[in-house]
Parts: sequence; C-alpha cells; structure tokens
Amino acid sequence: MVDEIYNDWRLVSLSPWPAWALVLLGLAALAGVALAWWGLRRENRPWRRRGLVTLRTLSMAAALFVVLEPGIRLLQTSRVKNRLAVLVDGSASMAFPADAAGPTRAAVAGSYLQQVAPELAELAERYTLEFHRFDGDLSPADLGVLQQAPEPKGEKTDLLGALETAAGGGNAAGRKLVGALVLSDGGDNVDLQGGIAGAAREKLEKLQIPVSTVAVGGGSLQDLAVETVKVEDFAFVRNTVEVQATLTASEMQAIDVPVTLRREGQVVAQQTVRIEPGKREHPVRFRFTPDQIGEFVFTVAAPVYEGEAIRSNNSRSFVLKVIRDRVRTLLVVGRPSWDERYLRMLLKTDPNVDLISFFILRTPQDNPRAQEHELSLIPFPVEEIFDKQLKSFDLVVFQNFAYRPYRMEGYLPNIRKYVEEGGAFVMVGGENSFGEGGYQSSPLAEMIPVDPAGSAPNEQLFLPRLTEDGLRHPITQLAASPEANQQTWASLPQLPGVNVTRPKDGAQVLLDHPHLTVGGVNAPVLAVREYGRGRAMALTTDASWYWSLVAAGQSGGSSRTYERIWSNAIRWLVRDPELTPVRVQVVQDTVEPGQPVAATITARRTDYGPADGAEVQVQLVDAETGRVVGAQRLATGPDGMARAELEAPGPGAFKVKADASLAGAALGSGEDAVAVRAASAERSDARPRPDLLRAISDVTGGGHVEAASGSLPPLGLSDPEVVEVGRAKDRPIWDRWWALAALACCLSGEWVLRRRWGYF
Amino acid sequence: MDRRNFLTGLLAASTLFSLPSRALAFGESSRLVFAQGRYEGNWAPRRNALRRLAFEIGTRTSIVTSPQEKPLDLHAPELFRHPFLYLAGDAALPNLGQTALDNLRRYVTYGGFVLCDGSDGGGAFARSCEALFAEILPGQQAGRIPPEHVLYKSFYLVDHPAGRTLQRPWQSGFVHNGRLAVVVTENDLGGAWSRDELGSWEYEVSPGGETQRELAFRLGVNTVMYAMCTDYKEDQVHIPFIMKRRR
Repeated sequence: MVDEIYNDWRLVSLSPWPAWALVLLGLAALAGVALAWWGLRRENRPWRRRGLVTLRTLSMAAALFVVLEPGIRLLQTSRVKNRLAVLVDGSASMAFPADAAGPTRAAVAGSYLQQVAPELAELAERYTLEFHRFDGDLSPADLGVLQQAPEPKGEKTDLLGALETAAGGGNAAGRKLVGALVLSDGGDNVDLQGGIAGAAREKLEKLQIPVSTVAVGGGSLQDLAVETVKVEDFAFVRNTVEVQATLTASEMQAIDVPVTLRREGQVVAQQTVRIEPGKREHPVRFRFTPDQIGEFVFTVAAPVYEGEAIRSNNSRSFVLKVIRDRVRTLLVVGRPSWDERYLRMLLKTDPNVDLISFFILRTPQDNPRAQEHELSLIPFPVEEIFDKQLKSFDLVVFQNFAYRPYRMEGYLPNIRKYVEEGGAFVMVGGENSFGEGGYQSSPLAEMIPVDPAGSAPNEQLFLPRLTEDGLRHPITQLAASPEANQQTWASLPQLPGVNVTRPKDGAQVLLDHPHLTVGGVNAPVLAVREYGRGRAMALTTDASWYWSLVAAGQSGGSSRTYERIWSNAIRWLVRDPELTPVRVQVVQDTVEPGQPVAATITARRTDYGPADGAEVQVQLVDAETGRVVGAQRLATGPDGMARAELEAPGPGAFKVKADASLAGAALGSGEDAVAVRAASAERSDARPRPDLLRAISDVTGGGHVEAASGSLPPLGLSDPEVVEVGRAKDRPIWDRWWALAALACCLSGEWVLRRRWGYF
Repeated sequence: MDRRNFLTGLLAASTLFSLPSRALAFGESSRLVFAQGRYEGNWAPRRNALRRLAFEIGTRTSIVTSPQEKPLDLHAPELFRHPFLYLAGDAALPNLGQTALDNLRRYVTYGGFVLCDGSDGGGAFARSCEALFAEILPGQQAGRIPPEHVLYKSFYLVDHPAGRTLQRPWQSGFVHNGRLAVVVTENDLGGAWSRDELGSWEYEVSPGGETQRELAFRLGVNTVMYAMCTDYKEDQVHIPFIMKRRR
C-alpha cells in the first residue's frame, strides 16, 4: 500500500562499514580465491582444481554479499520543469511608435503578451516560465506588469548580455534553461549592433539554447538622423581635416538637406545632401582647415522636418583637438645684420619651427651696379604675405623692419587683427623699429607692449636688469632657482644700445635698463602683453645676439642662454600648454545625456611648481551663447590638482573654464571643450531591426514571428529531464536465509572435498 | 703734416662721408665691422681692401657697414664681437699658438665666419689656412665649394670665383653644423678690392681686367651676404626666381 507511492528503485549497499573497509574486504576475498588457486597449482586433474576454486569463489562472493548488505532503494520521482526565460525589451527605443502614427512598441509588446497568455499558461505546465525586463541590464518582472506595458526608460539595449545573464541564472540547482523568448524591436546598441558575426555569433552559439524572437515594430517611420560622425581625435592647425558623417533617412521624400558643420556656433562648412527615397544611408563629407589650436566642439546638424519620429537625433557633436605641427614663423627683416643672422640660425635649426623669412637685401637707395638678371633678388611679396598667408603663421617677427618704404600701411590692420584673433607678434629693436620705424602712429601701436619715448636710441653699454615680473615669467627663466636665474642674467655680456621706450599699460616688463629712465620709469628692454586672444613681445635691442657669440667668447660661456631665451619666448608666445599656469582637462570630451561633466584642473604657481591650496572657480559655459550654465568652487591639493564635477546641462557644446588664484593673487585661467550629446545612441536610432532578431533565432535554432501574428513562435524546446525529488525507502535483501545458506554450503562443500582428496 | 698726408686724410674723411646715409641708431654694434686677423708676419698685405669692400657693400646692399676694419689678435676675446673675420696673408701662416687656436675653435663653433684670402700667388697661405682649420675642426678637411652653393647666389648670381688673379677657379671651405664657416681662396680678393686714398685701384687684375674686378667685388658682397644671411637664398620662395635667371 505504501509502496504504491514509489515509482522507481535502485540497488544500493546498506552496509554501515566505511568504503575503505569494504574495499579491503573485497581484496581479502580476491586473495582467498587466489590462495585456493595457488594451493592447487600442482593438481594434475583440472576438474578437481576447477571445482575447488569455483567453490572458493562462490564462498567469497557469498561472504561479500553478506558484508555489503545489498538493498533496494525505492524512489518517488517526478519530471522537473526546466526554465524558459521570457525577455521583454524595456529600453527607451521601445517608446518609439511601432508603425507610423501607431502605438508604442512597448504597448504592442504588452498587447502581444496578453494575446499569447493562454499559450504561455499551457507552457507553464511543462516549464517554469521566468519573466524578465531588459535594457542594459536584466531584471525580473511580473507577467501582469509586462502586459500593462510599463514605460521603457533604459538607455541601452544589450540583447546578448540579457541572454547570457538569463542562461547563467537558475534559481534552483539543476534547473536548466532550455530556451528563451525575446520580445524586442531589435535595436541592439551593444554587442549585436553590427549584426551577428565573429565573437557575437560565438557567444550566441555558446548559450546552447534555442532563442525564439518576436519582432515588435517593423513598420516604417519617417526620420532623419545624423547617425555617425567619423573624424580623427586630433588635427594639425592649418591642415585640412576631413569629417565623414552618415545621414540616415527613413521614409523621407526626395529632398535636398542642408547639413552644416559648426564650431561652437560658427558654421565652418556646409554640404547639401540629396535624400533618395528607398536609400537609407547618405554619406556626407566635410573638409575644412582649422586656423586655431585648442580643443573645440564641432556639431554636424541637419534640419528637423515635420513628421519626424525623433527630433533629437538630427545633430551630433564631437570634440576635436587642434594641435600645432610646427611653429610656423614669419621673420621679416629690415636689413641683414648679426642680430638677424643669429635669430635666423636659431629658428632655422629648431626642428619645431617652420621658418619663412623675408630679408630686405637692397633698398631703393642701394645701387647694386648690376642688371636684375644678375641678381638673386625677388620682389618683396607684401600682399601675398600680409593679406593671403598671414593667418597661416603662428608667429610673426619684425626685426628692425620699417614698413613705410613697402607701402604696408594698408596691411598693418591685418597684423593687428591676426594677433587679436590669437596670433603672436614680436618686434625686435633697431633703427627701423618702434618709434624710429614710425610704428607709434601705425595700426600696430596699441598692440606693441611699449611706446616710443621720442628720444634717439641710447648707445651706452648696459646690462639688462631682471624685473619683479621677469623673476617669475617663463620667458626669462634660465635656471631652476631664482638665485641661479639672477646669477645667469648677471653673467651675460653687456648690450650696446636700446630703442628708448616706455611700457604700455597692461604690459609686463621682464627686463629693463638699469639706469636709463623714461618719465621716472626704467626703459623696458623686454616686454610682453596679451592682446585680444594673442600675444605680443617687444625686445628693444638689436644686439640680443651678444647672448650667443659674445657670451660664448667669455670664459666658460656658451650660446645656450640665447637659445633658451628665444625658445622660452616662442613657447610662451604660441601658448605652449606646458607654460600654461592653469590647465583644464575634461575627463570625457563627449558626455551622454544625464551624465555629469567631470574635469581636472591643474594649477601652477608663478614659478611653475604645483599650486597647493589654490582657489579655483570653475564654470561651465555654453560655447555658442557664452551663457554660464554651471559653476563650482574648489581648492587644489598638494599636487596642484582639483577635480570638478558639474551638473549635466542640456545637449550642446560647452566650455569648462577655470580661474585659479593663490593667496589672493591670480594664477591664470584655462579652458577645455566638452560635447553633451543631444541623444543617447538608444534614443537617436529609431530603426526596429527584425532582421537581427530573425538572425538570432536562426543561429540558435529558435523560431521567429512578428508581434502582429498574435501567437508564439516555434520554441524548439527539449523535454524536461527526469530528476529525483520527494521520498525514498530502503529494503535490505542481504538478510535473506539463502545468502547464509549458500555461504555455509560452499564453505562446507569445499572442506569436504579437500578432506576427501587429501588436501589437509 | 705734409701735403700728401693732408690729402690722404681728406680723401679718407670724404670716403666716410660718402657712405650711404642711413639712420645709424645703435652705433658700431649694429653695423658690419670687418675684423682682420693679426698674427706674426704680413697679416695685412692689402691694407685698403676691406675699407673699399665695406664701401661697396654699403652702396650696393642694405647692409650697414663701418668703413674701418678692426685689426684683432687671433687670441683676443674681442674677436667674438665681430662675427666676420678676414684672414689675409702672402705666405704660409706661422705657428699661431694654442690660445689662438682655442679661440678660433670657439669662434667658428659658435657662429663666427672666416674668409681666408691668399695673395702670395703660390697657394702657400691658402694651404696653411686649410691645415689650420683642419686642426681646429677635428675630423674635417677642406672641401671644394660647389658652384651651385648658395654662396654664389646670396646676392649676385656669380658663375665662378675670381680675385686679382685666377690662381684657382674654385674656393675651398669648411662646413660646421650645416653652414659654411670658413672660406679659403688663393685668388687675392683683397688685391682686386684695394683702392688707394687717391681713388686709384692699387693692383691690376688679370686676366679679366675690370670685369674680373667687378666679379671680385660681387664675390665679396656675396660672401658677406652669406655670412649674414646664411642659406636664406636657399629658401623655397627664392628658388623659382633664381632658376629662371640662371637659364
């Protein structure tokens, strides 16, 4: 009666002996048989030998039977339900319409689950159904909730990740996942974004389960999107940059779309793309030449048309770092001189400088006593340089150059504008420079850091004096410590004369004359200033070459000082990042919507050591409007660094600007660019991809249907395995009388025969 | 003072005043001043040569020159204030001493330019200069300056070198750090340039006569122009013009 509940049995050993003891007993039994055989090896009658060994073997077997205590284990077994995972897409793309002007894809998925509820219930009798919602992650869900189509919000669609997580799950030991049913629009933007190939295919096959798919949304949507933008991470200034973008069109009419490339609000290039109905991808190629170094946010944008499914995917921003290839330097010289020669040699041999020079070798007063064809002279291409090519230079140097004889008045405003817009300008002294060259009444006057004093050049020998500003400025840093720096300057040879000038307001005088004064202020020898976005420098002597050859002629001297001063000056003038007292570096130059903008600010003291405890004011500024959209106050650590994290602004191009000060003294400012994406990849691609879902099913052996079918696809599930559950009962079979009787009979039979045949 | 000396002084002064009028703002340091090397022996066989060349350079080019050269000992520290050194002679150089050699080595290494001009007619001075600089610049030997070198197109387009003589139709030189630092000629350039106080050429030029003298001046101008502008005329912008005129 009780046995009726058991439907399976197994033969087991009920012996209380440990396994090793049973093994030893087994070996002893074998030894008993072997000894019997060994003792009978000289027996000439085989039937006797076989008879006795057989009896010994039977005796040992009977003894083992008794010791092993065999029994029958009665089992109550049942078929366990294996798992079937039902994965429902909860990513943001499910909020798009399934068809033009239709319900959302999430709603369609909800309706579908309602329609197939009876089929699911039938499946639930044989399988354990596990319902999940997935986007970038996988989370358990309730069928009832899924049928109500909760709002899809996930910013990613990771189909493969969801399947792997479901397969690796299993809420009970031994419960195997035998299949998966996926309801999705197929808009994967992680591993399967590029389709099923290579590693993605291998991962799918490794699941070893049939994945059946239900395509939600396969209808057509009207949409225009800037889907991809390809550009190098950095570009060289004044070198052509190519930006390749892909404009995708879905259900758009044949129209000409004006696509623009903007740099922080300014249009730098525009292309018109002809949209062809039926063609999805339309490549767009922009070519432009950046004329400034720095990091800039660029935006590729197309207009938004009436009836588009998604309005936020019509633009895409990226950050481009524009760097300098070499410092392109224009050297214009009024006449050959030793000062010119040494500067040219320095610039010409510097691998970081690309030198373009023009020397006036002959003035209208000179008579070379030769025909033009006997001379190597070329006309001075004023228009070419100062009108067409000017913007291509990083640095312009006027060395003892008078502009008037070359009718350059009309071009000087170009030079001023060039500096205003970020260029660098140096005027080196001589009888044709500053006031002597008539620059005080020229358009360059307000830009040059010094004003002429109105007196003739001073020809007294003098040793330039390092000023307060000069003690700290990178141009005049010739040694690591202030004392060594002072000593280096003091050891230089005296200079033979200066143009007499006075510093302009806003100029920094780095070197001045030790005793020549103008209006009570020592005459500047080396002065710098910021002008607009550019920088200007004035060196009021034409004998800086003394710091080269003459210095080298002194005991233990060399020309290193001359090279260092000019190298420092060039680096400062062209804004070498290494000489920037405040540096801002955004952690990511493209930020997804909703993510904060993080940046690292590095502040240096005036001696370029890390500024510990500097106050940093960070602002997030809209690059197109200049509006401040976020701000933060920070203090730097011992390494001079601080980390800012600003609230995520809306989509667009932004600058992170930082101003730092130490003990109330301003250290400087810096900035970096960041693009906040208008839409995540999830929200910018409206395409349903039933083809991807079908491919998943094909690879894994599952079925595929459209949600509109209202029925489940063929799931290709294997039958559940049989596993033990419930009760078990042991029934001994060793304690039967026949086992002992067999043992006794065999042993006594052997004994009797041995006695009879004379083996005792 | 006799009449001759008076006239000589007057003419010398007039030479000064006849220099092109320019705003000479910074005195001597801003002008080209020839340093003439002084050593034991006839270090100035053509005493009026540099003065005349300075005048010609001043009138023909935009370079501002000083009419008076500066005689300097080869071991003098002041040598370094004058990057153009004219070393002349009519016999092989004597032993200059280690101090002078060290001084010249630093001078050339840090950008000084040396023109060695032999007027002996036999090449002994030129050869001694070549040996001197081969010793000063270890591992270097005098090389023939090719006719396409920028030296021959730095201002004038010069086909071949010439001086008072055509002793050697080429010049030799030493290149240091990519620039021609020493030029050696044995054609007596100074002889072709020399003019006395009364305005007469001091030496006949042969075989080319006055045309050859003009060529010597042009070579002098080019040499100075090269010393001051180095390879400026090799810059890309000049090449099409020069190619066109060379045809």
